Amino acid sequence: MSRPLRFHWSLSQAGNTLRRGVAREQMSGLPDFAAQLDLCRCAEENGIESMLMAVGFTRPDPLLLSLALGRQTSTIHFMVACRAGIVSPVAFTHQVNTASALLGGRISVNLVVGHTPHELGYYGSFLEHGERYEQAEEFLTICGALWRGERGVDFAGTWYRVEKAAVGPPFVSPWRAAPEIYLGGGSREAAALAARHASCLWRFADAPALLAPEVAPVLASGKEAGLLVALVVRPTREEAVRHAQDVLAGLGPEALATHRKLAGQTDSVGFSSAYRMADGSGPEWRTPCLWTGAVPYLGPPSMALVGSPDEVAAALLEYKALGISQFLFLGWPDREEMEIFGRDVLPRVRRAESAGDTGEAAACH
Amino acid sequence: MPLRFHWRLLQGGDEGASAALALPDLEAQVELCRTAEDCGIDSLLVDVNAAKPDPMALGLSLALATDRMRFMVAHRPGLMSPTLFVQQVNTFAALTGGRISLNVVAGHSPREQRSYGDFLSHDERYERMDEYLAVCHALWDRSGPVTFRGRYLRIEEGRLNTPFVDAVRSRPEIYLGGSSAPAREVAARRASCWMRFADTPEQIRAQGAPPGVETGLRLSVVVRPTREEAVAAARALLAPETAPGQRQDEAAFVRASDATGVRAAYQLAEQEWLTPCLWAGAVPTHGATSLALVGTPGEVAAALLEYGRAGVSQFILSGWPKRAEMVRFAREVLPRVRAAEGVPCPS
Repeated sequence: MSRPLRFHWSLSQAGNTLRRGVAREQMSGLPDFAAQLDLCRCAEENGIESMLMAVGFTRPDPLLLSLALGRQTSTIHFMVACRAGIVSPVAFTHQVNTASALLGGRISVNLVVGHTPHELGYYGSFLEHGERYEQAEEFLTICGALWRGERGVDFAGTWYRVEKAAVGPPFVSPWRAAPEIYLGGGSREAAALAARHASCLWRFADAPALLAPEVAPVLASGKEAGLLVALVVRPTREEAVRHAQDVLAGLGPEALATHRKLAGQTDSVGFSSAYRMADGSGPEWRTPCLWTGAVPYLGPPSMALVGSPDEVAAALLEYKALGISQFLFLGWPDREEMEIFGRDVLPRVRRAESAGDTGEAAACH
Repeated sequence: MPLRFHWRLLQGGDEGASAALALPDLEAQVELCRTAEDCGIDSLLVDVNAAKPDPMALGLSLALATDRMRFMVAHRPGLMSPTLFVQQVNTFAALTGGRISLNVVAGHSPREQRSYGDFLSHDERYERMDEYLAVCHALWDRSGPVTFRGRYLRIEEGRLNTPFVDAVRSRPEIYLGGSSAPAREVAARRASCWMRFADTPEQIRAQGAPPGVETGLRLSVVVRPTREEAVAAARALLAPETAPGQRQDEAAFVRASDATGVRAAYQLAEQEWLTPCLWAGAVPTHGATSLALVGTPGEVAAALLEYGRAGVSQFILSGWPKRAEMVRFAREVLPRVRAAEGVPCPS
């Protein structure tokens, strides 16, 4: 029988559910620590394995924030986002290893190459999309050698050169010798990089039939594929749809303008295709369960599985049947949605998994 | 202004390079931090070295486990984007109420720098540091998007939504270490305090200091009730069982270093006593930071005050064993210094 699905949650909007609906320059850069801690603790009770700690100019540094949240939690892991290209891979490994010791190994890495050249310029990175993946490849090659415990790593590439690199603190974890590496991206380059250096590739959702050929190369390489998708689960389909529509009620021209701008600026294949899916030229519902209606207001991470617990559990299992093994969720509000997931969806998924059923259950109708 | 005293955190990795020692020992370190809080120590230096835990991550964890102690986090520019660095510093401040300052250093070993991917020469590292700190300050100014086009760094319309959070400061204090002319120039432009290794008060006066910033000394102390006991305690450091193989290691380290201060201190150590109180005996085995004031509480207090008259206003101290020496310093030396300054001593 296949392994049980693994579930993660994004901390990105804790304390301000509609954060993505304001201009990026106006988003608060100060952590709502109480709300974040509350969400982490809620995750520990609801079958969530780790929190995605997003990276970007609008936010606090994800690695340091993870250390602060880790001190006051006990089992939740932190999937720390990192942009290759703005830090030496040796310095990065040094920081991750130190954090692993301080967090008792509750850390993984979500490598991203950035989605907006304009923002990358804030950090002094001016590479094009393809070059950023080449750079990330070198970055992970060096990190990987250090994590394998090689002493005196020599590397001379196009973007990085190190001589006899070594870091004193090892990666510390009861489970693994190196952190799990997640990689976010919808492009062919992302899939190729994941195949070589990551353990799992994150993508935005799509209809299963359309997604299958996209993730096939990653799965064929023996690596996992995961979906970043929002959840709107309510006792009945009608209630879920109504709640999803209600989320948009508080959002208006500012949110639309923010994402129109971002859609114009991004050079990310995943972001672009998600924005395109939701541009009004196609159906708002990619499947009876997969809703793109919030994307113009809240961006690609807001593509959502909407439905009753049975429907959403079935949708997750249908993705599982085509090889998706991990999910990264968010919700509006996160805490309520997380509790619904833990109480109403997760048990259904686990029951079906132990019955060997991966996708035959009643899907959305 | 009363003299300010910082202390160097004890760290795993200090006494050797084994992997086990390279890990944080949070419990022992938090204990030292709490003692330092009680001792009236201004902040604890968390130094940087590939063999030790990352100082930003370790410093934050210690700050979160303590209430008042401040942390002087060492940092070598050139290994990450200045924007990312400011983002980390500001996050640290936001999570701790501003309990961070910075010890910015250019690196002293070309070999270690190359291991991180940094192949610049000594003087180039200071040029880059100057650009790096210019970008950091511009971000801390919070007066709009930051565009910077230098020889080493380019930033276009840089901005961060997380501000530096502190009750009084808009940016962290910056302690900039380095004895060379380029180091002094960067310190004058970008730092709040220039850090140097110790020398005699006469030499410190004669060598001058960068204009417009404070001067700090990186110094060790060995304080005992009598001078004889102090000298014996200092010399005990040199016993072969305390420092097996260290003399050779240190000599190799100095040969491999391109830092002006490291080399100068090693030359000073040709004499064992530079003043009746300033001892260079451990420099060949323990390095430049082991230049030490050795004596009774009264002698060491007097020597510190004399440095004060020579223009030094801050000290980063260390001792052996660290915790006991810090407690002795707080109990015996600090009250004498404060009495002479006319400042009430909290302890």
